[in-house]
Amino acid sequence: MIPIIPFVCVITDEAFCPVTLAEQALKGGTAMIQLRHKSASGSQLYRWAVAIRERCQQYSACFIMNDRVDIAMASNADGVHLGQEDMPAKAARQIMGNSRLIGVSTSSLEEALQAQNEGADYIGFGHIYPTSSKEKKNPPVGTELLQQLSASITIPIVAIGGISLQNAATIIACGAQGVAVISAVSRAENPLDATNQLVRTIKGAGV
Amino acid sequence: MAPDTTPVTLLPRVYFISDGEANTNPLILLKHLTLLPHSLPCIVQIREKQLTTRSLFELAVESKALLQSKNALIIINERVDIALAALSNGVHLPENACSPYLVRPFAPRMLIGCSVHSAESLRRAEDAGADYLLVSPIFETPSKRQYGAPQGLKKLGLLCNMTSLPIFALGGISLENAGYCVAEGAYGIAGISLFKELAQNPMIFIDTLNHLYSKKTL
Repeated sequence: MIPIIPFVCVITDEAFCPVTLAEQALKGGTAMIQLRHKSASGSQLYRWAVAIRERCQQYSACFIMNDRVDIAMASNADGVHLGQEDMPAKAARQIMGNSRLIGVSTSSLEEALQAQNEGADYIGFGHIYPTSSKEKKNPPVGTELLQQLSASITIPIVAIGGISLQNAATIIACGAQGVAVISAVSRAENPLDATNQLVRTIKGAGV
Repeated sequence: MAPDTTPVTLLPRVYFISDGEANTNPLILLKHLTLLPHSLPCIVQIREKQLTTRSLFELAVESKALLQSKNALIIINERVDIALAALSNGVHLPENACSPYLVRPFAPRMLIGCSVHSAESLRRAEDAGADYLLVSPIFETPSKRQYGAPQGLKKLGLLCNMTSLPIFALGGISLENAGYCVAEGAYGIAGISLFKELAQNPMIFIDTLNHLYSKKTL
């Protein structure tokens, strides 16, 4: 379910149609799409989720729903991604069972280990570098902490925050299984090409 | 793990809705819940759209603990995942939420309600397997102005005649006009301001309702 070779996870951007963006990213070779939209209605989210899940299946990619466990179940997503402000992983596991993945956003070793203890299948870790995509209170965690984390955790790490073509290979070399991007793809002149370049850059960069 | 089946025919007649103030102070809702009389069977819908999922989940868990010894059902607005995780009694689906038929497979034993603003949406909700309906707005009310002009009592009556599902009248409902809604066939009354009316005088509130439903089960 979680790609076993280094992979790119493309997270949708509220400024663009998530289905179109997902399609571009999938054609570019991404192995994971996360639908993240905080303001859309439930029925709209459901329609997007089904459309993206179908496209992900065509490309054998993984479809992850952000925050909404209900939409993940209704749309038969591969998993759900939970922030620290979302439902606890333990509660999500209770209602979803083991058939779907749970990812948890973390920004410290403590949060990461807790997520692992609560049954997360992978963790998001970041932000690694300064990023413009989301308002951030904390300073970047940096690659050193990423290396430490990779040595102390058993579940895959998906690094996020300020990841670009320039640093993606480094991130993978530091122990991340995947890199998650928003603006590096969504704001690129050509999201398909941007995805494809990222995919090729991290290929073979694994430890 | 899921709550036991609540036979729809035994649904309470009063349906309180939280007012979104828990966003700034969750204690307001919890205080309303503390004040609910033990003798009053009721439904409480937690509708706090501005809360994060985590805060809403915690509020739902706290509310359940507070209502443990009372005769109240907890319904979560839209989020069936939170309703399941917090062991609530049901979920209420606004018109722009997922349809009940998408939610039912994950919540076979939950009460699933739908907001209805027209004959078409009533039929849709009924066909999709809703257990009860909220029809609104019946009267003029500031909190429902965004949903258009009031439906009025006549429309309420028409909608009640269309279905055997329990309909709760919502929008500008008070003890004073509740009787008109019941006369039109409404199963019960719903509203945000009912919390305040109850708080003003719980005895009168319960007496009035008992009188209103004297030939029915409160």
